[in-house]
Amino acid sequence: MYRTVANRLLRFPAIYRIAGDEFIGKPRTLSPAMSKCSLNFCSTAESPPQQSTSIPLASAGASGSTEEGNRRGEGRRSEARAHCQEEQDRVLDASLLHVPKLGWTEVAMVAGARDVDVSPSIVGGFPRKEAELVEHFMDECLHKLMDIIDSEEDLKNLIPNDRIAKLVRIRLELQVPYISKWPQALSIQAQPANVPNSFKQRAMLVDEIWHACDDEANDIDWYVKRTILGGIYSTSEIYMLTDSSPDFRDTWAFLNGRVRDAFDFKKSIQEAQYLAESISAGMGSSVQGLVNTVLKK
Amino acid sequence: MALRMVARNFRSKLLPSFTPAFMLHSHATSFGYKEVPEEEKSKLVGNVFTSVASNYDLMNDLMSAGLHRLWKERLVSKLNPFPGMKHLDVAGGTGDVAFRILESINSVRHKALRDTFEDNLQEETQIYVCDINPNMLNVGKIRAQERGLGEDGSLVWVEGDAEALNFEDGSIDGYTIAFGIRNVTHIEKVLSEAYRVLKKGGRFLCLELSHVENPAFKQFYDYYSFSVIPAIGELVAGDRNSYQYLVESIRKFPSQEKFASLISEAGFQKVEYENLVGGVVAIHSGLKF
Repeated sequence: MYRTVANRLLRFPAIYRIAGDEFIGKPRTLSPAMSKCSLNFCSTAESPPQQSTSIPLASAGASGSTEEGNRRGEGRRSEARAHCQEEQDRVLDASLLHVPKLGWTEVAMVAGARDVDVSPSIVGGFPRKEAELVEHFMDECLHKLMDIIDSEEDLKNLIPNDRIAKLVRIRLELQVPYISKWPQALSIQAQPANVPNSFKQRAMLVDEIWHACDDEANDIDWYVKRTILGGIYSTSEIYMLTDSSPDFRDTWAFLNGRVRDAFDFKKSIQEAQYLAESISAGMGSSVQGLVNTVLKK
Repeated sequence: MALRMVARNFRSKLLPSFTPAFMLHSHATSFGYKEVPEEEKSKLVGNVFTSVASNYDLMNDLMSAGLHRLWKERLVSKLNPFPGMKHLDVAGGTGDVAFRILESINSVRHKALRDTFEDNLQEETQIYVCDINPNMLNVGKIRAQERGLGEDGSLVWVEGDAEALNFEDGSIDGYTIAFGIRNVTHIEKVLSEAYRVLKKGGRFLCLELSHVENPAFKQFYDYYSFSVIPAIGELVAGDRNSYQYLVESIRKFPSQEKFASLISEAGFQKVEYENLVGGVVAIHSGLKF
């Protein structure tokens, strides 16, 4: 589900340019909050567009040439919007460099804006401030992970549970530079206003990992698998916070252990299922035999 | 979504011949419900503010039941001021918004910012208060002294016209105009001046009395503005006409959506607005790139 959304956003920006304003702008923005930013007018009061009154007039005078001019105007506007989004991303990228020292704070964002020569006023243009910085980082990491999935060939040669462990490890390694400030990021993500976005980003991440393992499940299994992997990812993430072993060796051992447990668990469920099936089959045939013998008499 | 798209398309088709700017650009302009020649509006508005200057803040408190303080707080919190900021507050003669911005920069919340950057940053903070009316500026200067900000080098009082600002291109971090844009003759000129003086990444914020949508509340609001406000004006300030002008000019001001489109036509990005008290006031914001 999220995969398809992500795909559309990433690979077919053109479709979205036609379908709606929200997704114009930088095609790689994944979080809904970020894409909302590029809306031309987003009013808190959700009022309908005022232009509706001018519709009859317009339909009367819509000729080919105005249509073309209109398209050109639209193009310019969406270009400007894309540029605006790009600038914002540039500020956020620069802010990330200050995070290890200043934390996930407004201060880091102001410092980042100064670095790229943009007025720090722009920080006021991010309604949720530091939460958007964290979300930007999560998006960046997801893109990096997807690039790695596409480029690394040896991933495909691994057996599924090793592949999953490896992918989770790659993703977690991306936040190593920020590990001292990561608890702060987690607390920001856990704030009620930010929960919907952080939950979506995590769901997207887990989904991406499952897809990298060629998982095509579409039944109840889909939810079970994602819940379990989400659990593994989050516990490893938290384990990592207090891990002081060199190169986070303990975290990776912990991660491998949990992935193995999950696959074992799946196996035992399957075994139980088979057992139940064979028992019911066995009982069924004997009942049938009994009925048959009764009927014959 | 589809409906909005259609509406957008139609609007864009109309743009060459039927811009909102065109409508506001007539040679006769509105002064409240009266049509007056363009040249006269600024003089008439000047008269209004000269006559209300001394009672301006008292009247604001009475008319809005103190709510205007909250609205201004909201404006400043949306602006998100920072130490070292160059800010321009237009039509802010009595300094209400400027004092709040200064307080916010000096507050404890920004201690971390101050510690991080060089110490001289605090001194670099400059808040320019620009007003076309010297009487309003005088009220502001006196209030600054009462608050002990008279010697503060951060506050700079400038007499100037919002339609022709005396500032360099790209020299300002933030631009606010609170309850002022309604009184200017050419809104689009003010907006393009704001765009000109702002730095890249700078923000434009406008707090303005706007239009109420909810019909039931609108009934009450209309009664209040046309019957109660001029009466208060007469009782307290002894000037009914100025307050009659005030409520009429609110009705003449473009709706939230239309004003937002004017702002984006001036070149601003990420134009948004927020209604407060059901649209009695609205805060519009835009970002320059």
